[in-house]
Amino acid sequence: MAILGLDPDVDPIGALLSLQGELERFMRNPAFGTGLSGYGVFPPINIFDSTEGAVVVAEVPGLDASKIEVAGEGRTLTISGERTFAPDVSGRGYHRRELNEGKFSRSIQMPDDYDVSRAQARYEAGLLVVRIPVAERAKPRQIAVQSA
Amino acid sequence: MAEITTKEKQELSKPQEQTRPGRYYVPDVNIYEFDDSLKLWAEMPGVKEKDLDVTLKDGVLTIIGKVATEMYAGLRPRYTEYNVGNYYREFALNESIDESRIKATLRNGVLELELPKKEQAKPKKIEVRST
Repeated sequence: MAILGLDPDVDPIGALLSLQGELERFMRNPAFGTGLSGYGVFPPINIFDSTEGAVVVAEVPGLDASKIEVAGEGRTLTISGERTFAPDVSGRGYHRRELNEGKFSRSIQMPDDYDVSRAQARYEAGLLVVRIPVAERAKPRQIAVQSA
Repeated sequence: MAEITTKEKQELSKPQEQTRPGRYYVPDVNIYEFDDSLKLWAEMPGVKEKDLDVTLKDGVLTIIGKVATEMYAGLRPRYTEYNVGNYYREFALNESIDESRIKATLRNGVLELELPKKEQAKPKKIEVRST
């Protein structure tokens, strides 16, 4: 079941509505344990299945790609970095100050079927997208049947 | 330096209903005042430049960002902590802003707006002469 049955170019509103419904259905899904650092730890994440493995998407706007560190060890994926916001405004009067600044680090335990050490990360439009392939050992294998 | 914690995304609740269905979120902002301008930063992760709309009309600044959904094609959610949606926020500007010189840039999911004040709105220093 692909969540976007509709072509986003043809019906962008329908595509967004169906995406919102699907994301809502799996909100803090208790069947998927992420380990010690759960909801509330920055950055917030969504985890998806794709044909190649798992895709972790985190909302971390306002960073340079060079300021984000992604590490994979064993089953643990760690996302860390630091966000300093417009340092040249210190001492200025502000009207609103709602954006968070500081260091962050979050570790997620992936299920055993994924090879976290071969994960690939990309940062675009404030979203960090980490693709984690299915481990070789977890891939289905064809078993030859021998005749007696 | 302090550690960042996750803030729940705030859903838009407006007296008027949007004609298009779906969730809208209120982007978090910083607004700083300088001598000759106001500067605004708004967090809109997932929004690309072509899907951003900033207007200033009758002293009301409107920011609309449409979130890109193409990246989710073929993905099935397993565990989610946040939902996605378009962003919408309005501000009534007290300062008189020189609309012709407004600058907007979108970088890494953050909109940066520079709103230059009109000449007459800038603070003027009045010299005090001793007699």
